[in-house]
This record gives sequence, C-alpha cells and structure tokens, in this order.
Amino acid sequence: MAILELNNVKKSFGSGHMKVDALKETNFSAEPGELIAVIGPSGSGKSTFLTVAGGLQTPTSGAILVNNKDLADLNEKQRSKIRLKEIGFILQASNLVPFLNVDNQMKLLDNVKKDNMSKEELNALYDNLGIKELRKKYPADLSGGERQRVAIAKALYSKPSILLADEPTASLDSEKAYEVMELLKKETTQNKTTTIVVTHDTRLIEYCDKVYEMTDGVLKLKETSKKSQAIL
Amino acid sequence: MFLAWNEIKKNKLRFALIVGVLMLVSYLVFFLSGLATGLASLNREAVDKWDATAIVLTEESDKSLPQSSLTTEEADNIKDNDTATLGQLNSIARNGDAKQNIALFGIDSEEFIMPKVTEGEKFAGDNEVIASDTLKEDGFKLGDELELSSTDEKLTIVGFTDSARFNAAPVLYGDVTTFQKVKFGEGAAENETQINGIVVRGDDFSSISTSNEDLEVIEVEEFIENLPGYTEQALTLNFMIYFLFGISSVIVAIFLYVLTVQKISMFGVMKAQGISNGYLSRSVIAQTFLLAFIGVVVGFALTLISGEFLPSAVPVAFDIPTMIIYGVILIVVAILGAVFSVLTIVKIDPLKAIGG
Repeated sequence: MAILELNNVKKSFGSGHMKVDALKETNFSAEPGELIAVIGPSGSGKSTFLTVAGGLQTPTSGAILVNNKDLADLNEKQRSKIRLKEIGFILQASNLVPFLNVDNQMKLLDNVKKDNMSKEELNALYDNLGIKELRKKYPADLSGGERQRVAIAKALYSKPSILLADEPTASLDSEKAYEVMELLKKETTQNKTTTIVVTHDTRLIEYCDKVYEMTDGVLKLKETSKKSQAIL
Repeated sequence: MFLAWNEIKKNKLRFALIVGVLMLVSYLVFFLSGLATGLASLNREAVDKWDATAIVLTEESDKSLPQSSLTTEEADNIKDNDTATLGQLNSIARNGDAKQNIALFGIDSEEFIMPKVTEGEKFAGDNEVIASDTLKEDGFKLGDELELSSTDEKLTIVGFTDSARFNAAPVLYGDVTTFQKVKFGEGAAENETQINGIVVRGDDFSSISTSNEDLEVIEVEEFIENLPGYTEQALTLNFMIYFLFGISSVIVAIFLYVLTVQKISMFGVMKAQGISNGYLSRSVIAQTFLLAFIGVVVGFALTLISGEFLPSAVPVAFDIPTMIIYGVILIVVAILGAVFSVLTIVKIDPLKAIGG
C-alpha cells in the first residue's frame, strides 16, 4: 500500500497572465522501503514538489494522501502535527538548532513527540552514521559532512514513515556524498521508510530504486533500477 | 524550558547582558521604592504610631495640624470613641553642641497616643520630654537640657521612643502643660485648654462625628496626605517607578525581538519539522521569565546590600511586601515585552525559512 500518494496535484503561483504553474498535474505514489530520486535542473519545480508532498504548502488542486490522510483537507496546525509524526525533513541548509548539542537535538524531539527511537535504537543509529563521538558537540563544531549526518539522524529519530531530503549532498564532496546516500539507502531498507531525495546531482541515481525527472513542472518516471526490476 | 535554558547556557554573554539590564532596572525600581517608603515614614511614622482612625481639627485650618486651634473640652463632643488631645508646634532644639528641627507634641500621658518608652522613663513633670531615638544619631542623649528657639523654657530628655518622626522632624513628647508653656510663655495659665487637635480611635470612620460645626473630622490617611510635601514626594517617586515598569517592558521587547529576528530561519526549520507555535512561544515566554526572574532577584539582593552601606541620613526603608509586588510586576511587564517576539514567531512561514 502506498504511504504517499499525489493524485492530480497542481500548484500554481500568482494569477492572470502572471500565473506560473510550478507543478503541473502530477500523479505519484511511493511504497514503504523505497528510495526515490527526483532530479531536474533548478527552477524545474522539484522543491515545490517536495514541499507540497511534505505538507509545507497546500496544492492549488488535487489530493495528497499521507497514510491515506488528505493533507489538502487539513489546516496548518493539523499539517504541522502530520509533519511531526509522519515526515522527516533533511534540508539543504542544516536543520540543526545551533545552541543544542547532538544529544539535545534528539531530546528536543522527545519534548514535542512521543514514540521516538529508544536509547538502543539511537545508539545503533549513531553507530551507523558514525557520529557516536560527536554526541556532546554543537553544530558549529562539526564539519559539513558531520552536520549532514546529524541532520539525517535527527530526521530518522522521530521514526517518520516518509523522509524528504532536499539536496542532502549539496555541500559535500563526492566521497561524502556517496557515504550519505549509502546511509540513506541503508536506513530506508532497514526501517521501511520511504525516502525521496530531490537533487540535481545525477551521481546519486545509482542508489535509488526509482528515478523521476522534473522538467518545467512535469514529473516523469525516468528509470527503475535493475535491482527493483529484478524484484518485480 | 528545555530550549530556553539550553540557549541561555550556550549564549551566556548575550543573556548576561539582558539580565544585567533587567537587574539595573529592578535595582532602580527597588531603590526608588525604598526611598519612597523611607521618605513616607519620615513624614508619617509618628502618626502611624497613634493607630488612630481620625483626627479632629478646625474647619478653617484646612487639615493642617499647626494651624488648627481648639480646646480640650471639644473632646467631650465626640461620643462613643476613644479620644486623645494633641498640641503640636515646630521648633529648633539645641543641647549646646547639636541643634535639630523638632516637633513638640503636647499629650496626656493617660491617653492612647502616649508612646512606649524604649530607653529612660516617661515624662513625670513639666518640661520633661520623651524624644525620638533618631535624635541620638544627631548628638542628643538622656538628661540633655534643650533650649528651644521660640521660648526661654528649657526641656529635659528623660526618655527615648522609636518611630517618632512627624513631617520629617523628630518628635519630643511632653505633657500638655509643657507644650502650653513653650507655646504661650507667660500666657500659659489662661490658655491651659488650648490644643491643636483631637486624635480619635474608633471602630470605623463613619461613627465619628462632632457636634461643633466649626470642626472637621479627618480620616488619618487623608490627614497624612495633606502633610506639607507628602503627596508631592510620593507622587514623584511613584511616577518614576511606573515609568520604569514601562521602560523595562520596552527594553525586554526590543532585546528579545532582535534575538528572535536573528533566529527566524531556525524557528522556520523547527516549524517545518512540525514543532508547534505553542511550543516555540512557550519557550520564548519561559526564557523571558527566567531572565526577568534572575534579574529581579539579583537586583533585589543588590538593593538590600547597598541599603546596608548607606549613611543614615539617606531616608531609605525597605518594605519587603511592596518590593515583592514590584518585582512581580517587573517580571510580568517583561513577559508582556516578549509577546512581540511570540507574534513574530507565529507569523514565520516555514516554507520561506527553508528556502522553498
């Protein structure tokens, strides 16, 4: 069963002759355990796709079903709750709170939400991400790659069903970028999360189960990896 | 509280500055309130000591004790209440070395305004007085013979009492006859019933009345407010205090607003993650409360400490309940100042913050 479904979703800005269709009629669905990439040049509408799918903005028309709940029917407060419960964001800019150390970044989530990872799960996650030694450090003391891994830990800590990553490798060199993608792949399979990575970095495609391409607001399935084809 | 406290811990200097400003404001507020209380008691403590309900003066004196003149018989016209006769005049007393502005109270030692003697004994005969113990700091002592500026009569200090200042002058308590000898000199005998007012202690003000239409029954608090300069002093200081409440609210509002604006993208990211406006707002309010609380407590301690080192000529008296009320008001206005920042946080669009 699809965890995330977009049915005939459109998003336009402005009106009259100033009207811009950032997202033309889009249909999309994602299953648990899938790692999906959305690629495309900047300005193609991939970020709009991600923020609409993540409930950060409402579509102009169409339905977005997260766990069969339509986000378009909800107000900002209710969407905020869905984001907290179901969706993890890994953002281009670091989404860490500057005055909290790594452990406290996780603790903040404990303050606002129940059913996060247990201590053991968190330790395992730290191990996986290789950030065990950093737990008492503040974001300012971390390198770009370390910060990105902490951001991933933070996004996974609340056990989201959907993980949305906006250019998660933008500030990293190739080696680090592959590392991060490998991690995302591993977590996705292990936790049956659905991970959608928006990127213009085509190097990352090889890790993904499905690749979509966005051009001028139109989303098209580009390829399905051999691995998943084999399963199918 | 979690976010609030961790941020304070991480940015100690920044928040120490805010606490410092709040501390200085509260220090000033507490000190002004100490001065207000001190100046007030300088004027009223002898009156407060009567523990009276009202005072009867002549209508034409316009609530001024020295300007009122009536006779002891008027006390008989005041029914059902305890009365005490009171003569009062101002003079300068000198004992050879020191001189001091004083108020002489002529009273009846059998009546309720007779003060408790803290040192020495009660006055027994003419020209013996009980003096306010603040005179000791001015160089007066038991057994001193006092020359007064307006008369040849000499008074002897036989005892001291505490809290005895009237309109900023230390009080000498003597018998009514002593008072009349000082006031009327040779004519004392023919003026032996002349006094300034009658102090009344009763259950409630409305039960006190007099049959003489030339007399006016004045509630004690109103009498105090009409002491020369009293209301003006109190208003001046209270005005400054009220202004400081407003100022501290604005200072906190500006500080927090600047801090909040700097953190807009951080708040936006947190909101994108689904952390509610309520949680973030509570965090800012909790932070303001912490800062204001620490500032006020330090300011309070600083006030009490510097109070210890002040020369006795500075009329400060710290009324702890009033100071606590002012402290609470300071914390409340600081939190009102944080409301601005809360409104800013509520308006942040998470989408813009993450650059979508």
